[in-house]
Amino acid sequence: MSFLKNSSLLILILLVAMGFAFIIAWLNVAKFMSYADLQTALTTTTGTFGMVLGIITAGLMFTQGKFGELASELNDKSPDYLAKVLSLEKIQSIENHLLTIRKTFIQLATTTTIAEERNLYERIVTKASSMFVNFAVLLNLKLKQQGLPADLQVSEMDSNLYRVYQKRRQGLRKEWQLLNIIRQVIDVWEGPKAFFIEKPNRESALEADLKDSLSILKLKEKVEKSSISISREVTKTSSDLDTEISKISQRLHNDRIPQLLSQMEQASTLRGKYFYLTLVFIAAPLLINLLILPQFSNATATFFQPIISITSFLNIMGVVFLFLYIYKILNV
Amino acid sequence: MRAVKKTAEEQIKALIKKRSFPPIEVIIPILEKAGRGEQELTAQIYNTYATIAEGTTRILGLKDKDMKTVAKVFEIVISLEGLKLQPIELSESRFSFHLQDCPMLHVGKNVSFNVKSKFCDLICTAGSRGLIDTILGPQRGTCTWDKALIRGAGKCTTTFELVKPK
Repeated sequence: MSFLKNSSLLILILLVAMGFAFIIAWLNVAKFMSYADLQTALTTTTGTFGMVLGIITAGLMFTQGKFGELASELNDKSPDYLAKVLSLEKIQSIENHLLTIRKTFIQLATTTTIAEERNLYERIVTKASSMFVNFAVLLNLKLKQQGLPADLQVSEMDSNLYRVYQKRRQGLRKEWQLLNIIRQVIDVWEGPKAFFIEKPNRESALEADLKDSLSILKLKEKVEKSSISISREVTKTSSDLDTEISKISQRLHNDRIPQLLSQMEQASTLRGKYFYLTLVFIAAPLLINLLILPQFSNATATFFQPIISITSFLNIMGVVFLFLYIYKILNV
Repeated sequence: MRAVKKTAEEQIKALIKKRSFPPIEVIIPILEKAGRGEQELTAQIYNTYATIAEGTTRILGLKDKDMKTVAKVFEIVISLEGLKLQPIELSESRFSFHLQDCPMLHVGKNVSFNVKSKFCDLICTAGSRGLIDTILGPQRGTCTWDKALIRGAGKCTTTFELVKPK
């Protein structure tokens, strides 16, 4: 969502800038340029930006190559995860633990009257549900591969969860994308990895939230004697989940999957956002300068002189994007 | 050398991971409503800090029972809580610093100053006592704080001091 918002904002700024440049150009440039200057400007910008376009094309090929290389490496690793790391029994056991946590904390959230406590429990329910759906997608994939009836966990989902499940299942088009789902699961459980001295991101880790809730339940059991059984159940379920997920996490990190996926995302962003922006802002004006304007007569060209200013402005924007593009390529 | 450092880091991480410390912003409204449980919270915090202090000194090989060890361990504990301290003074008998953030600041606005103040005393007393007793020895040091943060000032000044032998 934030990417869409950023893109819309960028496009809006560019459109406003273009409109502004158009008005300025229309008002001022026509007075000063002769037809000979116009031709010189055309020749120069065509040559320069033609070269720039060449650099972008080379960059795109590099990015595409990098993307393909990473996809191939991940594709090689993914079958092993589905076949060995995530056995049928393991997925089902994790799914059962997540269901237990989900049900327990839904119950706890409804019984508490303290907003802060309820927020914590609801956070746990949301994260456990997200993990549950992701494991259901992996289970579906595994069952399909083995020719068994899929959608085993669907009966445990409400309509919202089912919608998310369907969306994630349909979004899984490439083999390597299942590694992305596993990474998402680990991120929800452990929280994204941070440096040792950085603030631990307790907000994003289900494991930390469960630990917090256990501390609360243990304290409450001493005060109220009411949550002893719940506390024991959550302790055992959390511990079992931790053991199972830690093994998957360890394997994932040993194989450098999070780093590879992160590089894939960067390469994908480069291939998409920066390349197309650069292309639009360099190739489109270049095409106008090369093909359309030279066909005009002297009088018509004089009339359209401000358009050259706009195409030159677009070229400048293109160069800015080109620098961004090169910078990003160097950091992939 | 690098491998050894990493191992120590991992050991401290595992130690912290085992901590049993309820989130302050959640537990204060619960205990306030229940009207009891403060002793249990104090015991939990004392034990947590004592365990972390004992484990950290063991892992890092800090054998001196002095104020520098208190400073080192406290710095590690505080950074793992996501906080930063600004040192003011570190001598043989005194370790003083400023804190610009504190978990108590994240306690809901509907909790009164008096309640925050009470829990601030309770938590800081238990935590500092856990550190001092474990590192320096029982009753060998004191810790004071000015509660400036919960009063709305920018930073809280905290001081660990050795108790002078009589």
